[in-house]
This record gives sequence, C-alpha cells and structure tokens, in this order.
Amino acid sequence: MAEEAKPMEIHIDRKNRKIGGIAPELADRCFTCGTCSGGCPATGLVPMEGAEGVTWDARKAIRAIVFGMEQEVVDSKWPWVCTLCGRCEYACPMGIKLMRSFRAARTLRERDKVPGPIHKGTMMNLERGNNLGIPKEDFLYLLADLGKELEEECCPGFYVPVDKEGANLIVTINSKEPFGEPDDMKFWWKIFYAAKEDWTVSSVNWEGVNWGLFSGDDPAWKEQVRRIIENARRLKVKTILYPE
Amino acid sequence: MVSVQELLKEYIDEGRIKLDPSVNHHTITVHDPCNYVRKSQMAFGDHMGDLNRWITMQCVDPSLYREMCDDPMNNFCCGAGGGAWAMPYDEERLAYGKIKADQIKATGAEIVMAPCHNCRDQIMKGLPKVHDMGNYKETLYLWELVANTLVIEPWSEEEIEKAHAARDAQFERDGIEMEEEEE
Repeated sequence: MAEEAKPMEIHIDRKNRKIGGIAPELADRCFTCGTCSGGCPATGLVPMEGAEGVTWDARKAIRAIVFGMEQEVVDSKWPWVCTLCGRCEYACPMGIKLMRSFRAARTLRERDKVPGPIHKGTMMNLERGNNLGIPKEDFLYLLADLGKELEEECCPGFYVPVDKEGANLIVTINSKEPFGEPDDMKFWWKIFYAAKEDWTVSSVNWEGVNWGLFSGDDPAWKEQVRRIIENARRLKVKTILYPE
Repeated sequence: MVSVQELLKEYIDEGRIKLDPSVNHHTITVHDPCNYVRKSQMAFGDHMGDLNRWITMQCVDPSLYREMCDDPMNNFCCGAGGGAWAMPYDEERLAYGKIKADQIKATGAEIVMAPCHNCRDQIMKGLPKVHDMGNYKETLYLWELVANTLVIEPWSEEEIEKAHAARDAQFERDGIEMEEEEE
C-alpha cells in the first residue's frame, strides 16, 4: 500500500521575496491562465529536478515564486534556457513582469555558477575593455589592415578613423567580429564610405556586446554603458551608433 | 543615440546612399529580433519592425518579399536570445528554435534578414543543422543586405587625398606602421 500523500506545508514570506522585489505583489496576481507558457517556445524544454515527467515553463516559474520557492527557480536551468524574449510579459493579461522576474533570477545565481562564458566575458570586459580580451595593438593593426583591403577592393580613400575628435558618429563593435569574422565589419564600412559619413571608433572600450545584461550583473551592465557614453564625450561625438 | 535602422533610413531618405535592388534575385523574409521589436516597444514605446521591413524592401523587388509574421510584436525569438548563443545549452537552444525554423520554412523564402548578431548566428549556424527550413539558403544582417545592394561611387581625388593625409596622421599618432606601399 502506498502511503497517503500529505499536502506539503508551504511557507510564503512575501516581504522578503528577492525576485518579487521588482514588484512584490505582481506575481501574486497570476490567474494561472497559461497565456505565458502556451505561447513560449521554451515550454517543456527544462525538466524539473525531483519531479519526474514535469518540466518548467513560465507559468510554473511564476507560481513557484508566488509559493516562496524562489531558490528552486534560481537553481534551475529555466532562467537561462528562457531567452528573456519578453513575449510572455507582453502578453500577460495581468501585467506580471515575467521577463524581469526571470532576469532577476539570473542575478541571484552565484557568479561562479553562471553558465557558459558570459560571466567570465563580463569580467574580461571590465578588465580589458572587450569580452574576448583583444589587445589594443592587435585591434588597431587589424582595423588598419582591413581598412587597406577595403580601400583596394572598392573604396579608394577608405580607412577606419580611430579616436577622431568631433566626428559625427561613434560606433561600437561586436568583439566576435575582430576576433573571428573580421570581414563582416566591412559591411558598415562600405555604407559609411558611400554615405561619406564622418564617423569614428574608440581605441578602447569599444565592445558593443553587453553580457552583463544577460548574466544579470547590473553593475557591470551599467559600467559598460557608462564607458560607451564616456567614449562619445571624450571624443566630442554627438551620436552613438550601437549596431547590436 | 541612433539605431541602425534610423541611420539607414536617413541615408536612404536623404539620398546619401544609392541602392540597386536589381542585384538581388532571391526571395526574402524578415526576422524580428526581440530587442529591436518587442522589448524596444516595451521599454521605449517604439519598435523597429516596420523599419526593418521598409529598408529590406528598398533592397529587393517587393515581389520577392515574404512576410513571416503579421504582428512583429508577437513574433518568436530565434532561440539564442538573452545570451543563449553563448551558453552551454545547445540542445535546448536548437529545440527552442524549431518554431523559428518552421516559420522560415512556411514563408518559402531563400534569404532571412536578421538585424541582430545573435539572431543571425542562430538562424545561419544553428537552426539549419537540425531543422528543415524549406527553401532557406542564407541569412544576412540588415547592413549586409544594404552593403550588398549599394552603388558605390569612388570619392574624388581631392577627397581621397584628404583622407590619406588624415589616415597617415592617425597611424603616426597610434604608432601603426604599415608595410611599404607603392602609390
């Protein structure tokens, strides 16, 4: 005979809720309608630990938060397989901040347990100015070489203006391009050439990919944005183009 | 702060760049990156879905355009958003992307325009490995599509000389020594 199942006692401490701290009462408004999880491609992708055959989805994660099981959400893969696309939050009839809640769950993950390279890349960025640690000298030589290539291919007179004071436009760069797909930088360069744009790129802190946003690291996120603005101010450039 | 779409529209509207759509012969559809569309609308009250389509239409004959989603605000994520492209959960990321692959297949388009690095990598390097995408051949950045469609007119001698002088001064300042070149 199987033992009779006893209902688990749930202790809900709304006042000290960490994820709900964004909007303490909002998760509690959930009607459990399932609009969020019904329209989410991540539904069913992450098995719930200790519950055979049960998978995470947006509705269950929000309900877990309501029931005080924040830590279970933080420890699960759910907030990381969720791509923070915001479709659930956009559609929620009760205005629950689902996307922000799941990002908050990322923030609560211990930094050395952030999956993949996004935390390490963030630290690398703070230290060396880009996620992949490309040295300034390599970067400048690459821009010079590629600029010369483009000049020969199609654009006589072209070069990459670095640290040009008073330019009209300053551009950030996705470090994956100088690192692995350098020719892809030429698409914008051709456009700038054709438009005769007065543009520039900074020799330092030029990274456009903000992994602090994704790893849930607010101070790093802000620091990177601050640096981009600082570059524009230092070079007296009015407009920032952020091609991410 | 200017978005890539606003800048490209300005260049086109003001005649600063010229485009020749006759160089593009493939059917094309437009993906809506969450950050440029839904999340932009939620955060700033404006989104780039319509401009993405408008700029694409400046680059191709409208008869080649295939719509992926009637409501950009409710389009699906590529599956690699929020840093997922860099995370170690490949299986989940690709399973997530099936709905995007199905959408692309349903359009019948050969090219997908994706104005985001992350979406482009997922659609170009991720999804085709595991999903049937119908007529799909290639993914292009918005600025790649524009660059491919550009009519480039070389600068005047005077402009070139001025640029060379500025370049040389910059290289000297930064200590960049290029290999000897013959002019």
